[in-house]
Amino acid sequence: MRSHKAIAMMVAPLLGILSLAACTGSGTPEDAEAVSIDQDWSKAEPLTIDVFDGPANYQGIQGGWFAKVVKDKFNMELNILAPAVAGGGDTLYNTRVAGGELGDLVIVGKGKQADELVEGGLLLDASPYYESMKNVSAYDTAVQYLNEGKDGVYTFPTVVSSLKPTEPSEGVDPTFGPYLRWDYYAEAGYPEIGTLEDLLPVLKEMQDAHPKADNGKPTYAMSLFKDWDGNVMTMAGQPPALYGYEHVAFAEAKADGSDYHGVLDPESQYVRALKFYYEANQMGLVDPESTTQNYDTMFAKYQAGQVLLSWWPWLGQSAYNTEQNMAKGKGFQIAPMQDQTVLSRGADVYGGGLIFGIGSKAEDPARIAAFIDWLYSPEGVESNSSDNAGAGPKGLTWEDGPDGPELTDFGRKAILEGGDEEVPAEWGGGAYRDGGSALNVSGVLQNDEDPRTGYPYNYKFWPSYQETAANPLTEDWSEHMGGATTTMEYLQSNDQLLVAPGASFTTPTDSSEIETMRNQVKATIVEHSWKMAFAKDEAEFEALLAEMQETANGLGYEKVLEVDLANAKAQNEAREAVANEFG
Amino acid sequence: MFLVVLPFLVLVFVFSYLPLLGWVTALYDYKPALGLGGSEFVGLQWFEILVSSETQLQQIGQVLANTLAMSFLGIATSLLPVFFAMLLNEVRSTWFRNTVQTLTTLPNFISWVLVYMIAFSLFSTSGLVNTTLHDWGLITVPMKFLDTDQHVWLTMLAWSLWKGLGWGAIMYLAAIAGIDQSLYESARIDGANRFQLMRYITFPQLMPTYVVLLILSIASILNNGMEQYFVFQNAFNREHIQVLDLYVYNIGMTGNSLSMATALSMLKSLISLALLIAANAIAKRARGTSII
Repeated sequence: MRSHKAIAMMVAPLLGILSLAACTGSGTPEDAEAVSIDQDWSKAEPLTIDVFDGPANYQGIQGGWFAKVVKDKFNMELNILAPAVAGGGDTLYNTRVAGGELGDLVIVGKGKQADELVEGGLLLDASPYYESMKNVSAYDTAVQYLNEGKDGVYTFPTVVSSLKPTEPSEGVDPTFGPYLRWDYYAEAGYPEIGTLEDLLPVLKEMQDAHPKADNGKPTYAMSLFKDWDGNVMTMAGQPPALYGYEHVAFAEAKADGSDYHGVLDPESQYVRALKFYYEANQMGLVDPESTTQNYDTMFAKYQAGQVLLSWWPWLGQSAYNTEQNMAKGKGFQIAPMQDQTVLSRGADVYGGGLIFGIGSKAEDPARIAAFIDWLYSPEGVESNSSDNAGAGPKGLTWEDGPDGPELTDFGRKAILEGGDEEVPAEWGGGAYRDGGSALNVSGVLQNDEDPRTGYPYNYKFWPSYQETAANPLTEDWSEHMGGATTTMEYLQSNDQLLVAPGASFTTPTDSSEIETMRNQVKATIVEHSWKMAFAKDEAEFEALLAEMQETANGLGYEKVLEVDLANAKAQNEAREAVANEFG
Repeated sequence: MFLVVLPFLVLVFVFSYLPLLGWVTALYDYKPALGLGGSEFVGLQWFEILVSSETQLQQIGQVLANTLAMSFLGIATSLLPVFFAMLLNEVRSTWFRNTVQTLTTLPNFISWVLVYMIAFSLFSTSGLVNTTLHDWGLITVPMKFLDTDQHVWLTMLAWSLWKGLGWGAIMYLAAIAGIDQSLYESARIDGANRFQLMRYITFPQLMPTYVVLLILSIASILNNGMEQYFVFQNAFNREHIQVLDLYVYNIGMTGNSLSMATALSMLKSLISLALLIAANAIAKRARGTSII
C-alpha cells in the first residue's frame, strides 16, 4: 500500500500544475493595423454568432423580421444566450467565463463585469475596426469616456443620446408612475388620492366593483413577481421611485441629492412600500399567485385585465392599452397622486448601464464590429427597437409622409394592437411581436432625432401619430388632468417630475469582502421582504422587520451601506457635473 | 498485480483526489474571468468571514440542523420500504402486485424538476387542490402549501418517500425471494399464521440487508443532495429547506461568491471526517476492530 500512496503524492501535484497551466495558456497576438469593416457583408459566408445578452428575455435563435433584416444585411444569424432566461443569477455568466469564451457579441453591464472581461482577455480590442465604424464614431465622446484608462476600444455604449442630460430619457411616459385602470377609477367617481396609502381604499372599491375580469378569472388590484429581485425585492423598490427615490444597492437616495439613508431604515420608502403591500394583502388586494408566478404569467394577467395597478407604463399600458380597449375607454393611465415627484432618468450623453463588446474568440470580428456599428445607424436604431416606443423597420411599419413619418396600416395594427399581426412573407413572416429584436437594448436613445426623418425615433412623438392618438380613454383622462395631453406634460406642468441628470455613473467594483457580505445581505433582505408583504398580522410584520434588520446587520449590512452611501453621493456629484457641462 | 489495479487507482485519483485541488480556490478571491492565476491570493480571509459574525454562525448552524434533521428523518423512515416489501409480498393476486410495484417504482425515475411541476400544479395557490376546495366552498382564501415555512421538513420527507418508497422496496423483495422456503414450511407445521410468519421469519431475515443499507445511508448523512430542496425552495421556506449542499450552491453560484462557497464546502469534509472518526471509535468499542 505504501508505494501506491507515494505515487499518489507525486502524481497529484503534477496533474494540478498541468491543469493550471492549461488555464493560463491563452492570448493571441493582436493585429494593430486598421481593418475596414466597410464592405458588402450580405455576400459573406453564412455565420451564426453567439450573443451573450444580459438584458434579453428570449433565448435561442432570433427569428422573424429582425432576423430577416440582419440576415439580408450581414448574412448572419443571432443565437441569443439569455442569463435571465437560464436563471440562477450569474451562473451562466460564470460558467461561460470560466470556459474562456462568453460569446461572439457580448452585452453586459459596464463597470465590474466589463472591466473583468477586459482584464481577463475575454473582450477583443476593437481599435483596428473603430476607425471605419462611421455610425458609432458619431458618439466618440461616449466611446472614449467608456474606454478611459484602457489600452484600446473594448466596449461600446448603449442608449447614447445627443439630448441634454437634464431632459427625461423616457419619451411621453416616465419609467415609473402609479398607473390605474382609468375606466374603473372613473366609475368610482375619480376619488382624490393624496398619498401612496390612499390608493388602497380606491383600489379596494375598484376591485369590489369588478371582482372578475372578462375571462371569468378573479381580478386583483395588484399582482407581484420575483424574477428581477436583486439587492432588494424589486416590486417594493418601485413605490419609492414615485417620490424621487432610487436605490443604489442598499442606499436609498433622493435623486436631487437632498436625502440619503439605508433601505432598512424604519423610515425608508422601501419599508413603507413593504407596509403598503402588507396592508393591501390584508385587504385582499394582492394576487395570491404573486409568490410563485413569473413575469410572463403576470404580463398575461395584465393583458386579460385581471390586474388594476401597474407601477410601470411599459407593463400596464403595453399589455392592456390596445387600440380596441382604448376605443372603449378602457386602459391604464397615471393617477393624480397629489404628493408624487416621479423619478425620471435624464438622457445619457455617455450611454446607459450596458455595453456592447466583441468576444476575443469571435470567428469574424470585423463582421460583428460592422453589426455593432449598424446598431447606431438610423436603420439599425429603427429596426432594433424592442420596447414599445420603437417604430420598427421603414417600409414595414412606417413610411415617410407629408408631415414627417407616419405609421402604415400594418404598423398601426402591429404596434398598437398587441403585436399579433402576421408579418408579410417578404419580411420573414410570423407574428410582428415575435419577430422584434431580442437584443433588448438599443444603441441610441429612442427619443433622439432620426437623421433620416428629422423626428425622434419614438413614434409617439410623431405629429402624424399624435393627431390620431386621441381616443375616449385619453380624452377622459385629459379632461380630468387639467387638459394635459401626455403623462410627461402633466407631471412637468404640476412639478411632479424629478429628472436625475444622465451621468452614466459607474459604481466602482466592490472589494471581495464587501461583495460577499452584500450577496448574503441581499438574500436575507429579499427573503424577509416577501415574508413581510405576506405577514399575517401587524405583530408578525414588525417582528419580521426587526429580524431582517438584525440578520442583515449581523451579516455586515452597515459596512456595505457605508460603501453604497458613498457611491450614491459620488453619483450625485457626477450628475451635477454633467448637468453643468451639457445642461 | 500493480498493473491490474492501476486503472482503478487512476480513476480514484482523477475523481477523488484531483478535485481536492479545487480547494485552493478557497485561498483566493477567485474571479472566473481572470482565472486563478489572475485572482488575488487572500489567505484565510474567507474562513475568517465564516466565523467572524454571530449571525453567520447561526446561519451555518441552521443549515446543519436542516441537513441533519432531514437525513435523520430519512433514516428514521428507512424501515418503511421493508414493511412495504413485506406487505406487497403477501398480496396473492399477481397482476395487482405487479401493478402496485410498477406504479410505486415509477416516481423514482421522474426527475425532481418534474416532481416539482406536479407539486406546483396540484398545490400552488391556483392549483388543483386549492381550486377544488374553493369550488366546494370549503375555503375562501387559497391555502399555502408550497410557499410556507410550516412543516417544511415533513413535507420534504413526504415527497422523498413518495418518490423513493417503491424503489427502496425492490431490494427487499429480492431478499424475500431468497429466504429459505423450508423456514416457512417448518413454521407452518408449528402452526404459525401469516402475520406470525411475517413477524418471526420474513422480518428477521431481512434485517442483515437492512443494516447494511442503514450503515451506507449513515455514511452519506451530509449528502442529502440538493435537487429536491433546490426546486422546492422559495423566499418563504428557505430558512428550513437550506441543506448544506444547497447553501453552498446558493452562496457560490447564485450569490456569486465562489471562493467562500469553496471554504464552506470544506467544512462538509471536516464534519464527515469527524463523523468517521466517531463511528470508528464506536465500532472499536463494540466489535474490538476498527474500520480504518
